[in-house]
Amino acid sequence: MKKKYSIVAIAGAFAIAGTTVMAMPAQAAKPSITIWVDAPRLPGAKLYAQIMKGKVDVKVELHAQADLVQKVPLFNRVKKGWPDVVFGPPNDVSVLRDADNALALNKYAPASFWKDMEAGNQWCKGSDGQYYCVKNDLAQTVLWVNTKLMKDFGYTVPKTMAEFEKIGLDIAKNHPGYSVGALGAQGAYSSFLWPSQCPVNQATSATAVKIAPKSPKCTRATTLLNNLISAGAMSTSAPWDADFIKEYGAANKVVMTIGPSWFGEFVIRPASSWNVPAGQITAAPMPIWPGEKVNYSGEWGGGIYTVSPHSKFPKEALAFAIFMVSDKRNVVDVKNPDGSKGAPTFPASQKGNALWKAKVSSDKYYAADPYPAMLEQSKKIFSGEKPVSYDSNSAMEGTFANELKKTKDAQAALEAFSTYASNLAKQLGYKVSTN
Amino acid sequence: MAKRIKQKRNGNWAMWAMLSPYLFLLVSFGVVPVIMAFLEVPHESRVNPDGGWDAFKIVLQDFRFLPAVKNVLTFMAIFVPLTIVFVIAMSLMLDLNPSKWKKWLRLSYIVPASISGAVAVLVWYAILQPTVSPIRTPLSWFGITSSDQIWQTEKLVYIFAAMAFFAIAGNWILIQFGSLQSISGEVIEAARVDGCSAFQIAIKIKLPLIKKYIVYMGVLIFAGGLQLFVEPELLNKGIYLGIAESWSLDQLAFELAFTSGDFGGASALSLMLLIPSLIGALIVIFKTDMFEDANVSRGKNKEA
Repeated sequence: MKKKYSIVAIAGAFAIAGTTVMAMPAQAAKPSITIWVDAPRLPGAKLYAQIMKGKVDVKVELHAQADLVQKVPLFNRVKKGWPDVVFGPPNDVSVLRDADNALALNKYAPASFWKDMEAGNQWCKGSDGQYYCVKNDLAQTVLWVNTKLMKDFGYTVPKTMAEFEKIGLDIAKNHPGYSVGALGAQGAYSSFLWPSQCPVNQATSATAVKIAPKSPKCTRATTLLNNLISAGAMSTSAPWDADFIKEYGAANKVVMTIGPSWFGEFVIRPASSWNVPAGQITAAPMPIWPGEKVNYSGEWGGGIYTVSPHSKFPKEALAFAIFMVSDKRNVVDVKNPDGSKGAPTFPASQKGNALWKAKVSSDKYYAADPYPAMLEQSKKIFSGEKPVSYDSNSAMEGTFANELKKTKDAQAALEAFSTYASNLAKQLGYKVSTN
Repeated sequence: MAKRIKQKRNGNWAMWAMLSPYLFLLVSFGVVPVIMAFLEVPHESRVNPDGGWDAFKIVLQDFRFLPAVKNVLTFMAIFVPLTIVFVIAMSLMLDLNPSKWKKWLRLSYIVPASISGAVAVLVWYAILQPTVSPIRTPLSWFGITSSDQIWQTEKLVYIFAAMAFFAIAGNWILIQFGSLQSISGEVIEAARVDGCSAFQIAIKIKLPLIKKYIVYMGVLIFAGGLQLFVEPELLNKGIYLGIAESWSLDQLAFELAFTSGDFGGASALSLMLLIPSLIGALIVIFKTDMFEDANVSRGKNKEA
């Protein structure tokens, strides 16, 4: 018995000692922040940690993009563990706000920064005028063109979607085996449905969303897609699926494709992907839908930084995001593992963007400077689509893409998606309108 | 008398000592989590704003619940009988013909079993992806030339059944082969003398003698299949994003907890999933004599 008490006493002593040891770092004056980023953002984050050495303790952790959304309910439950600043997919801002883990950022950065971000950061703006995230990059869709194939086949770059369709059908007829794009993953949504203003995720308030697959703005897009799919000029795979790469991408048989601004550096150029030779690719503005005044873009990705309201150093946390989007050392100079330099995506900050422009415009890989088209389209992202509290992107990549593969009917796929997304929305208390 | 009590006490002590490591694990990783899950159910969440035991009802009414039940049951309807029949047939054949090949045969059963979970997903992706597949020519005989003919949500039951089958069939063949080895040679010899053919010996003598092992296998395969998670989740997150979203019941529980933040609903679903597995375990314990081996053989010894 006596022995037992002594063990308890020792354990108690350790516990007390433990708390004093644990309490000590909190007294240190040096701020410390924890950062979560995905692999493409890792070199920049590591560089930042190095630069800040001595001023801020920066702990960089590699996480998949959607990790925080999965873990935040756990952190909320145990009331600790929240990282200070996190890179994630754009829709997360809404989910994180619901989970009380997206800080209103306006007062933590100077007005000059918000002015610099004004055009690029609309996605992050809440209805109260506060910014709840910082947009890393814009992923506006443009028309990627293979100038060599276009010339060989005698086509001119289409200005309207009707021309786009006509060229696609002509390719199917006269140059079978060539392609005008892949619709898998978020391809159909970001490149066709969204630019056509089809109400897929049109959140009208925090509790109301419009999902209207039968709207004419949707059916004109699905009709065009169905025509191109059945003619054989468009694939229902994703642009990085092994069979699409083999048959079209790496065989250099994609004549043109609508895709986000990062397609050039991530999909078309890399040796492990399409590996299209230098001097053939450029970007053109989006073709316009008949009867419209603006040739809108959609977005595919375009990640965001969020800061946790639980962070003890919100200013330092936000400073990391500012570094990533606007500092030359990240935007242009940082060394990536594949040998390339700088941020691969179109920066949302004007300052960062100007730096990035210099890099891309002078890149000999492109047949012509793709930047002007990207810049034009960056101002024309149709703003009706909004962040929502349910995982709409997974539903798009799951329900829509799978139904499309099975039926080869974009309208049927859109309706299947709508049913699924409406269920998700209703479950979270959204009012869903279909017209 | 006093001596006997002391002996008994010693015996108890030894029993507890031997049991305690397992009891410790059972309590920490079995009983405590179940109690925690139970206490978690009535917590409030976005889908259950007032909290309470409605969580069970809300999960049952979730629009993803019935499709997940259907997916898992269809998967099991293919996977469980296929595995049981194949395992029994193979182990009976293996038992029939002792030869120098046996060692290699056994090895060949183990090899596919080592390809499970994450690795199996990658291997099957490569096998079924027409552009890289080693069996692309046979695939093309069936008109399969592109990945989107194969990787559709509707076809996943067959793909997962194949993955699960190859992952566990080999191991079970060896285990059932082991249980066949435990049959006394005299019994087989007697049957043979009485004029049984090899087939009759297999069906009428060997099979009934290893019945309890087969029931045991059936229950374990059933419980394992019910908790299908790794394969669809990896396929869904890593290979074809969204192809198997909330496809299985375990995935739905995971989704509820970590996408919707609804821990109550996730716990409710997990507890419901416990029931069939628990029933299975009770069948093994009370309806087969799986765990009464020692007594039975002792009884037999007495008779002899």
